[in-house]
Formats: sequence, structure tokens, C-alpha cells
Amino acid sequence: MIKIENLSYHYPDGSSALDSITLNIRKGEFVAIAGKNGCGKSTLLRHINGLLQPSEGSVIIKGMDTSDNSKLQEIRRTAAMVFQDPQSQFIGMTVEDDIAFGPENLGFSTSEIKKRVSNALGSVGMSAYRYNTPRTLSGGQKQKVALASVLAMEPEIILFDEVTSMLDSGSRMDILSLVRQLHEAGTTIIYVTHLLEELVHADRLMLMENGRMICNGDPREIISKISSGRFGFDAPPIIELSKRLVDAGILEPSFLPLSKDELREAICQLK
Amino acid sequence: MPGKSFLHRLDPRTKIIGLMAVSFCILKVSSFEIMLLISIIFSILVIACHLPTIHFARSVRPMLPFFIFIFLMQLLFTEGSPLFEFGLLTGTYEGFLLGSILALRFIFLILFAALITATTSPAGITAGVERLLRPLPIRYVGISSHDLAMMMSLSLYFVPMLFDSFRDLRDAQISRGLDIKKEPVKAIMSLTVPLVRMSLRSVNEVALAMESRCYTGEGRSSMYLLEFRLSDYALLVLYCMLLFLLCI
Repeated sequence: MIKIENLSYHYPDGSSALDSITLNIRKGEFVAIAGKNGCGKSTLLRHINGLLQPSEGSVIIKGMDTSDNSKLQEIRRTAAMVFQDPQSQFIGMTVEDDIAFGPENLGFSTSEIKKRVSNALGSVGMSAYRYNTPRTLSGGQKQKVALASVLAMEPEIILFDEVTSMLDSGSRMDILSLVRQLHEAGTTIIYVTHLLEELVHADRLMLMENGRMICNGDPREIISKISSGRFGFDAPPIIELSKRLVDAGILEPSFLPLSKDELREAICQLK
Repeated sequence: MPGKSFLHRLDPRTKIIGLMAVSFCILKVSSFEIMLLISIIFSILVIACHLPTIHFARSVRPMLPFFIFIFLMQLLFTEGSPLFEFGLLTGTYEGFLLGSILALRFIFLILFAALITATTSPAGITAGVERLLRPLPIRYVGISSHDLAMMMSLSLYFVPMLFDSFRDLRDAQISRGLDIKKEPVKAIMSLTVPLVRMSLRSVNEVALAMESRCYTGEGRSSMYLLEFRLSDYALLVLYCMLLFLLCI
């Protein structure tokens, strides 16, 4: 689905943002990308969305090269992106107008646009806010509208760029639940985050440092090996507790519980 | 403002052309009788559309000092029969009439524009402007009607955002010890420079988001189906008759 080969990107001043990244992502996969601020996560997503073009190497989305300008619209329709700050991506005066912006750009008929707007609003549970002004919504609601505006284009791949970093705990859970639902429905997800508890749902975890990919594999395995704080995120208390229980020999080292439910189950199974 | 009145249901293009025709009419007439007729038509439209009068009061209020200034200038500096004397200044009857007509013209222009924005969604207005601009040969100078309509729509969206940013910035600077009344020049510098920087950053982010959502400025469709009905055609004929009567 996504094939990245030796991708390097240099800023106009010559500094390097990405350095020889090679990555393959299969259809329907949930890939999490983590790392410190400025390590190149967002730059990588912008390459997949076709907003940036590689200085070296190639990014191929469903057989389309992002360096080919004639394919950019189709690439952006296939791999849509939700940005970190929802406020900065609103274009419409009402929620409905904003969600319609993508399908309007793709030239769909009026009836098709209205259908897509209704479906997208329904998917994120925001139908009641259809005629509201985006500015008046809460942070979580804004991010749901931003997600709906991407869903209205019916992309096969959705790129999430630290979408929960500006949200409270409840709104974060809502967005994460929507992301999981989309993944279960077959959408390929690429999810950039700082929060370790958000990584546990991924099929694959990729860690980045100074524009390079330093780890790519099973999230459970990687999280159990890395020391807390090294890659720009702190382990949440549940994972820290699980690690200590494993270190103390109370829990089996073969399976590190990463969520409250997994830890509860592991403790219940203790004899 | 949502509604199902006659004016709400009209095609946005009919309303935009209507606003242009009414504006021409307002600028052309100079008698109180016709101004009275215009105010009766306006009142009927407001009542028929079930619109709150506060909306119109709010649209006129920011410009009120300007209208008062225009009225006073005409009243005090137009030659004619004296109406009153105040020190060295003399108000004239002719000045009173001219000032009133001039102020009323501006007030009605704003009121009719507010009537259109209250009965048409911003996206509807944008779609209407885009369709009206489409036949013009602007593409030969490298601009599409979509681009112009999008610029208009974004401007409408950015004004309240800019105001919010200004308010946040002002509060942040005051909390850091800025006294706007005591140091107005410093205040202007410490507010405008970051505001311009913030605006440029926002513009960059919105441009990126638009590009990400497949905006190219060409081949766009609209969620709003623009369709002339019988009532639209009837009104267009009425506008033509009105303009013809004014021109002869």
C-alpha cells in the first residue's frame, strides 16, 4: 500500500529532516510512529500526503509516486491527513461547509457531497452540530470535525499527526476509539503520537530519532525493552507498574500488560 | 440565520444581483419620499423573514460615529437658510436635508447587505459569487472564479479568527505589564508585530490544510445547488424594470 525507499529530506538551509527511511506498510495495517519533537515524524507524514516531495528516494502510495505532480490529487484523496491543531485546518464557516470542502474539491455532485457530509458527521457522532460554527466547538469536537472532513473524502489511508496532543483525557479516548473503529473497518492507519498508551493498539510501532528510523516492530516488544523517556515519551503508570511487576518476578516476562484490562487479567491469573 | 422564508429560498445569485440593484437605487435617489418607500420595503422583508431587529442594529452600530460625522459635516458646512446657530457654527436647512439623505443612504446600504447575509449562508454567497464571476474572462489574467470566491470566503472566516487572536494577544501583553493607555505607541508595536506573525503562520497552515484536502482552484463542485426558479426570474425582471425607471 505504502512503499518508502531511502527517503531523505533536506530543508532549504541544508539541514536534514529525514535520513534514508525505508518502510513498507500493508493495506489495513495500524502503524504508530513515535519520537521526540523535531525527530521528523510530521515531515514523514507530509511526504506520504504529498505535501512535501523527497530530496532523495521515493514515496509510492498505491503505485503512485508522490514526485509525480499529476498524481498528487489522487494521492491526497487516497492518503488523507488529520493535523495536530484542528483550528488551523478549518476552511468553512459552518461544520457542514468545512466537511464538504474535500468532496467539493474532488468535483462530486451536490447530492453525493450531501450524502458524504451526513455519513462523515454520523461516523464521528457530530450530526447535531452540522450547522454550528467550528470556532464555537470544544477541542475534542473540533478534532472530530477535522476527522469527519477527512472521512468525507473516503480515504483508504488516514494519517494522524499528534491529533490528541491538545485534548483532555475524555476527548482523547473518544478520538482513539474512532481511530480503532476505522482500523477495524479496514482503513490503513498511520498514527503519530507522544503518548505510550496510544501506541499499544498499533500493529506495528516505529521509533524515530534525528530523522532516522531506529526501531520498527511489535509495540509490546519494543515498549518492554525501551527505557522510559528516551524517545520523547514517558511510560504511563500502568506500563511502569507492569514493568516493575515483571522485574520483581511477579508477572511473566513473556507478556507485558500494557493496559488496565490486561494488567487486571494478568493479576487475576496469579496463583 | 436559518429560516424558510421567501428570501431564504431565493437563489443566492438573485439576492446578490438584487443587492447591487438596490444599492444603485439607493445611491441614485435623493428624495425623502423614495427613502421612506425603501424603508417600508425593508421593514416588510424583515418581518416576512422573521428576522430579529437586533441583528440589523448590530450591523449599523459600528459605523454609527461615521454616519453622525457625515451628517454633522453636511449640516454645518452647507450653505443655505439658517436653522440654528451654535457659536461660530450655523446649521442650515439644506445641510440638514443633504446630511440626512447621505447618512440614510449609507445606513440602507448596510441594512440591505445585512438582510442578504442573514438569509444566505456564507457558502451560498460564495457559490453565488463564483457562478456570477464565471463568465468573466478573469482566467486570462491567471485567476479563476473559484480562487476569487475562495478568497472572499476565507476573508469572511478569518476576520473573527483575527479578532480572537488580537484579544488573546492583548490579554497576554496586559498580563505581562503592558499599559495600553499610558504607552499607546509601544502597545501598537507589541500587538501588531506578533499579530501579523500569527496571521502569516495561520495563512500558511490553512494553505497546507487546503492543499492536503485536494484544493487546486479548478474543477470544484458545490454542496449548494444553484437553481433559478420562477420567483428568481420574476425578481430579475423586476430589478431590470426598477433600473430602467431610475435611468429614464
